[in-house]
Amino acid sequence: MVARRKFATLKSFLNYIGVEGDRTIFTWVSASEGDRWAQVIKGATEKIKALGPASKMVKTVA
Amino acid sequence: MENIETKLREEAQRLLLEKKADVIIGYEKGTLPLTATPCFITRPEEAEKLIWNNLCTQNLAKFVHDLITAHKNSQKRVKPEDRKKKVIGVVARGCTTRSIIIHLQERQYDRGEVYIIGVPCDGYVESKKLRTAAGGADIIEGDMEGGQIKVKTAEGEKTVALKEVLSDSCRTCRYNNPIISDVMVGSPAPAMNPEAEYDQVKEFEAKSIEERWAYFTKEMAKCIRCNACRQACPSCYCPTCFAEQSMPQWVGIGEDATDTQVFQFMRLYHMVGRCVDCGSCVAVCPMGVDLRNFLKKIDKDCWEMFGNRAGSSMEDMPPLGKFSENDKEDFIYNP
Repeated sequence: MVARRKFATLKSFLNYIGVEGDRTIFTWVSASEGDRWAQVIKGATEKIKALGPASKMVKTVA
Repeated sequence: MENIETKLREEAQRLLLEKKADVIIGYEKGTLPLTATPCFITRPEEAEKLIWNNLCTQNLAKFVHDLITAHKNSQKRVKPEDRKKKVIGVVARGCTTRSIIIHLQERQYDRGEVYIIGVPCDGYVESKKLRTAAGGADIIEGDMEGGQIKVKTAEGEKTVALKEVLSDSCRTCRYNNPIISDVMVGSPAPAMNPEAEYDQVKEFEAKSIEERWAYFTKEMAKCIRCNACRQACPSCYCPTCFAEQSMPQWVGIGEDATDTQVFQFMRLYHMVGRCVDCGSCVAVCPMGVDLRNFLKKIDKDCWEMFGNRAGSSMEDMPPLGKFSENDKEDFIYNP
C-alpha cells in the first residue's frame, strides 16, 4: 500500500521533468489471477509499443 | 537583530555553563565579506562569536545529525552502562526545526538529544543573487543596515535592497518561525508570502512536455557532480549514498549527461515528504542549477495528494510511510 504513494509521486514527477509518465505502469495483480495477469501484460506491452523506444534518460555506451 | 544576537549569546552561554548542552551549533561571521558560516561552540566564553542576521544561510539540522551520528558511532564499543549522552544545542529558524522534525519522525535521534534555540527568521541573502546584483565582481567590502546592503566591488560601490536578494525559498516561506523549540529568542517574525509558493511550479506545469524536458536537460547539463547539494541537505543523511554504491551500481560516476540526470532525478525524488525548502542545496550549488523548481513540484504533489507538508508537525508520520483510503487511484493501470 505504501508503494501506491511512491508510484503516484514518481509518475507525476517523471511527467514534470518531461519524461513520458505513461511509461510508468503500476497495478495490482494476484498470483491467482492468471487471466488478469495476461491482460495486464498485453495491455502494458501495447501501451509501450505505441510510445516507441525511450529516448530520454537513456545512456548510450560508446 | 542586535537584540536577538545579544539574547542568543546569553542563552548559549547559559546552556554551556549549566551543562544543558555539550556543543552549540550556530553561525559566526564568515571570512569573506557579507557571509556567515556555521560554527561549533563548546566553551561558554566562545558564545560571543555567535551571530544572527540575514546572512546566515545553511540549514544547521545537517550538523545536528552529523554530530549525533558521529557521537553514537564513537560510543559503539563502550559498555552500555558507561555510554555518555551528548546534547546538541542548535540555533534554529523555521526550516531548521522542520528538518529536525523530519529526523525525529525518521527516528534518527531522540528529542532529548537536541536542544533547540528558536530564532525568528525574515529570510536570508542568496549569495549568487547578491553577486549578480552587485555587478558580478568579487565583493571586497559590505555592510548591512536597515534593509539595505552596501556592497563594494573592484568596479565600484552599490546599494542593494535586502528584499531584492533574498532567497526564493524565503520569499514564499510558510514557516519562518520555529515550529518546535526549547527556548525562543526574540519575538515571532512577520509572515512572508506563502500564497505564491507554487506559482513557479504551476507555470512550469503548463509548458509542453518537450519544453519541460529541454529545461531539465539544460539545467542538469550545468551540474558538475560535486555533490555539494547532497552534503548540504539535512534530509540526505544515508551512510552510503546510492550514488556511491557499487553493488549494485545505480548510477555511473562519470560526466555522462544521462548519469548526471539520473543522479539528480534520484536525489530529487528521495525528497518526497522530506524537502523543507530551506534552499541550502540551491545556495551551495556552485553552478547555479535550478533545483528548487523540481523540489517544489515534489512538495506540491505531496501536499495535493497526501495533504502533508514536510516537517510541519511533530504528530505527523512521513507521508510515504503510510497510506489513506482516500489516496487518489487514477494512476493505477487497469486493463
